[in-house]
Amino acid sequence: MGVTLAVGTEKGAYLFRSDDARSEWDLQGPLFKGWRVTAFGEAGDGTYLLATGSNWFGAALHRSPDLKEWAQIVDGPAWPDGGERKLTQIWTLNRAGESLFAGVDEAGLFRSSDYGDTWQPLEGLNEHPTRPAWQPGFGGLAAHKVVVDWSNPDRVWVAISAVGVFRSDDGGETWVTKNHGIESTVEDELEGDIGYCVHCIVQDPTDADRLYRQEHQGVFRSFDGGDNWERIETGLPAGFGFPIVLDRASGRLFVVPLESDENRLPIDGEFRVYRSDDGGESWSISGTGYPVAPTFTAVLRGAMDADQRKGIYLGTTAGKVMATADAGETWTTLPWTLPRILSVRVLEN
Amino acid sequence: MDLAPDLVGARPGELNEMATVQVRLPGLLAQILGGEKNLEVEAETLQGAVDRLLTDYPALKVHLYDESGRQRPHVNLFYNETNTRWLSSLEVGVQDGDTFTVMQAVSGG
Repeated sequence: MGVTLAVGTEKGAYLFRSDDARSEWDLQGPLFKGWRVTAFGEAGDGTYLLATGSNWFGAALHRSPDLKEWAQIVDGPAWPDGGERKLTQIWTLNRAGESLFAGVDEAGLFRSSDYGDTWQPLEGLNEHPTRPAWQPGFGGLAAHKVVVDWSNPDRVWVAISAVGVFRSDDGGETWVTKNHGIESTVEDELEGDIGYCVHCIVQDPTDADRLYRQEHQGVFRSFDGGDNWERIETGLPAGFGFPIVLDRASGRLFVVPLESDENRLPIDGEFRVYRSDDGGESWSISGTGYPVAPTFTAVLRGAMDADQRKGIYLGTTAGKVMATADAGETWTTLPWTLPRILSVRVLEN
Repeated sequence: MDLAPDLVGARPGELNEMATVQVRLPGLLAQILGGEKNLEVEAETLQGAVDRLLTDYPALKVHLYDESGRQRPHVNLFYNETNTRWLSSLEVGVQDGDTFTVMQAVSGG
């Protein structure tokens, strides 16, 4: 079975479709030409979701039955009319059972129970007692990653920059910070467990209590659902990076290390993905196929995804898409050059 | 700065019969509406025309106004040749052939 890869950029969305071997690709697009495309999702009723943004015209959510014809969802995620809180970007769209979650900037979480037609704010998170201490990171004040426990849909984690990880054990009603073991990035004078610039989190598909976390401060692992975190960087040339992805078929973890939070570039121009075969105990360069010439580009937190069949896909800030169909043994750079890539998502065909 | 310049094409306080106002959209917003850059709405006043536009095409609202109800800062709305930011009120009469143009502010080089 081939793969449909949705790629969102600063200037539109692009769809890549592969053959069964995932070695030959066709490109369709741009869709939403000129719009910033920040996230993709599947609504659960067979339709697809796509989030747009614009410096002029704000953020909105759109639906398509076929990835060709799109209609804006009028009652998409939104802060209340008359308020000062602004929705500037929809960062992530996640489906879990009958629920859809949207993480947004200005930071908040919304849930839909009707396949995305209407959205309700999760007040327990959005009005959390620590909210007065929430501060934006370089990328904004964003709820950018949602993980719903595959073993228990009432347990949900959300990552907010530069705030930290929160966990709900009651289906999103109440939330508790989960950052013990990580150094804070932003000094917090109000609360003791706020100020962590989490970039990405992923849950282990075989152990529901095991999480992995790419943080501004490095790469971390938890064995207890986020209660405690420990650093796991043996073999990495740098701890800084944005995405962290796990392939279910191989059990491998993937990160893209960058030189320091100041520079945010591949070390010495050597663009490399790193992988771990042992749950983060150690890391090594993931296979071959990287650019020979020095390459100074990065992969953003939403721009890497796995098809769970050993296919890993990433998009760079230089507009290149790289793919592997063998869990990172060999990487191929697709021939097209797109605008700056913000989001990469494997869609169900 | 004169905050109340001559309103080219505007007729403050003059209420008309129902008129057809031509609406012009930029390319980005036209995509949202299936590619249609030119729309028509019927109204007696400019405020009525805006209300009718947002009723007939509700997807536009979030793109023109933010959550506070204010016009987005980098969106300009022109009634004929008058930037509506210069108008003290949108309760001005409209006539057939008047235009309401949505423009995205452009600056820099």
